Amino acid sequence: MRHSVLLLPLLLLPAALGAQAVQNATLKRAQAAYDNLDYRQALTLAHTAQRERLNGFDKARMFELLAFTYGAMDSILQSMAAFKELINLEPERELDPNRTSPKVLSAFSVALTQVLVVRQLKVDSVDFVGGQGDVGIRYVVTQPARVVTRITGGAASIKIDSSVANGQVNLRWPARLANGDPVPTGTYTVVVEATIGQNSFSASQPIRVTQGAVDTLPHLLSLPGYEYLPETEIPPKSWKPMGLALVYSGIALAGTSALSSGDLGSASFREAGVIGGGLMAAGFVVMLRKPAPQPARGNILYNRLLREQLARRNAEIAQDNVRRRQQVALRVVPIRAGGGR
Amino acid sequence: MRTAAALLSVLFAAAGSLAAQHGSIGGQVVFGDYREVSADLHYRGSGGGVAASFTYKKLGIEGSLASVTYDPVAGSTATVSFKATQLDIRARYYITGPVSAEVGIVNRKAKPEFEAQSVGAIRAGVRMSYPLGPGVNMGLRGGMLFGSKFSGGGTVSGVGALELGLNMTVDAMKGRLRLTGDYDFQRIARTTGSGPGKANVPIQQALGRIGLAVAF
Repeated sequence: MRHSVLLLPLLLLPAALGAQAVQNATLKRAQAAYDNLDYRQALTLAHTAQRERLNGFDKARMFELLAFTYGAMDSILQSMAAFKELINLEPERELDPNRTSPKVLSAFSVALTQVLVVRQLKVDSVDFVGGQGDVGIRYVVTQPARVVTRITGGAASIKIDSSVANGQVNLRWPARLANGDPVPTGTYTVVVEATIGQNSFSASQPIRVTQGAVDTLPHLLSLPGYEYLPETEIPPKSWKPMGLALVYSGIALAGTSALSSGDLGSASFREAGVIGGGLMAAGFVVMLRKPAPQPARGNILYNRLLREQLARRNAEIAQDNVRRRQQVALRVVPIRAGGGR
Repeated sequence: MRTAAALLSVLFAAAGSLAAQHGSIGGQVVFGDYREVSADLHYRGSGGGVAASFTYKKLGIEGSLASVTYDPVAGSTATVSFKATQLDIRARYYITGPVSAEVGIVNRKAKPEFEAQSVGAIRAGVRMSYPLGPGVNMGLRGGMLFGSKFSGGGTVSGVGALELGLNMTVDAMKGRLRLTGDYDFQRIARTTGSGPGKANVPIQQALGRIGLAVAF
C-alpha cells in the first residue's frame, strides 16, 4: 500500500519536468535514482547538485525533485520547504491533482500559503466601446497582503486598485485615463504588486490596446417580423355592376315616362332603351370579369404605420450613428503570458 | 441656348401639369325622337355629331354638337322634315361621393326655321357617376332649364323645363379609345299667349348618341 502511494509522484515527475531537459549531470543522476525508487541516493545527489552551479530551470527541477522525494519519504516539512523554494522560482507551478499523491499535494498547498506570490494573472481579451465596457483582470494572492494593481506604459502609470487581498481577486478596468479619455493605442503592462512588510512580490502581464472606429448601424429596409401587406385586394365577384346598370337604366326609363308630357302621347323609349341596353350589357360583362383591385384600407393604414415605425427607427439609428462616430472602439489583448518576481 | 432651355422647362412644366388632366374628342352617331305641341307632331331622325370633354381635378367640361335630320313619323300630321342642330355645353364640378353639380347651356336650331322651335336655355343640375368596373363608368343626370327662349316665342314656368340623362363610357386600348353612349331626354312645358288665349305647346325630345372618342 505504501509503495503504491509512493509510486504516484514517481509517475508524475517526468511529466512535470516538461519538454526542457535538465542540463546538470548530477541532477540527471539524482532524477535517475528517483526513477529507480532509490530515494536516499536521489536525496544525496540532489543535495550535491544544490551545491553546484545550476541554471534557473535546473534549480527549479532540483527543488521539485527534493520536494517529491521528501514527500515519498513522508518528510512533509522538508517537502514543504522544497516546494516553497520551487514556488519562489516558478510561481505559476501547478500540480495535477489526478496524478499526484495527496501527501505531496497537501505539502504543496501548505507551501503556497506560506509564500507571498501573485499567481495566475489573467487579462481578458475584449472589445468594447470606450466608456461602455471594461477589461477583466484576475489574479490570486497566496497570502493576505497589500496589493496594488497598475497599468504602466504610455504617458503615465494608471493605478487601477489598491487593497488588502488574499486569494482570488477580480478587477474591472474601464481602460480610461484619469481625465476620462480612452487609453491611447499602445502596449501597456498590467503590474500587480503584493507587499507584506519587507516581503513583496510583483507579477505583470503585457497587453496591447488598440483604438478603432465604432461600427455604425445600417439603416433598416424593413422591420424584422413585420412585412408590408398588399394595399389593394381583389373583391369577390359581385352582381353589383349589373344591378346598378339595371337600376340606372330603370331610373332613366321611369324618369322619361314620368317626365313625358301627356299632351305629346306616350314617350319614346327607343333612345333610352338603346343606351340603357348598352349599359346593362356593359354591367353584365363587368359582372363576369375579374373585379378590379380595390384599395385595402386596413392594409394601407397598417403599411403607413409600418413605414412610420421604420422611419422613426431609422431616425433613431441615424442619431445613434452620429453618436457612434464620435466614440472610440477599444480592443484589449494580452500579448503573452506574464511573469512574476 | 437660353431660349431653348426656357422652352424645355416650360414643356416639362406643361407635361407635369398634364398628368392631372384628361380629355377626349370623338364623333357620334345620333338618333332622336322629337315631339311638339301634340302627339300628332311627331318626328324621328338620325344624324351625326362631335363631342369633346376635358377634366382637370374636380372640374370637367363637356361639349357636343349634334345634327339630326328629323322626319315625320307615319301618322304624323307633319309633312316636312327639318334639321336640328343642337349645341350642348356642360361644366361639372365634383362635390362628394358620386355627386357632381352641372351647369351649362343648350341651344337647338331648327331648319327650316318654322318647322320646329329653336330653343336656347341655361341648364343646371346634378350628375351621379359610378364606376361599374375597370374602365367602365356610368352616370345619371337630371336638371332643369332656365331662361328658355324660343324662336316662336312663349314662356316656360319655373319648373316646366326638365331634362334627364343617362350616359356610359367604356375605355378600350388601355384608355386611349373610349366608347360612349348618351341618352338625353328633354321636356319643355312651353306656353304661348296669356289669359284666355293661353295655350300649352310643349316640346319633347329624346336623343341617343353612340360615339367613339380618342382619349388623351
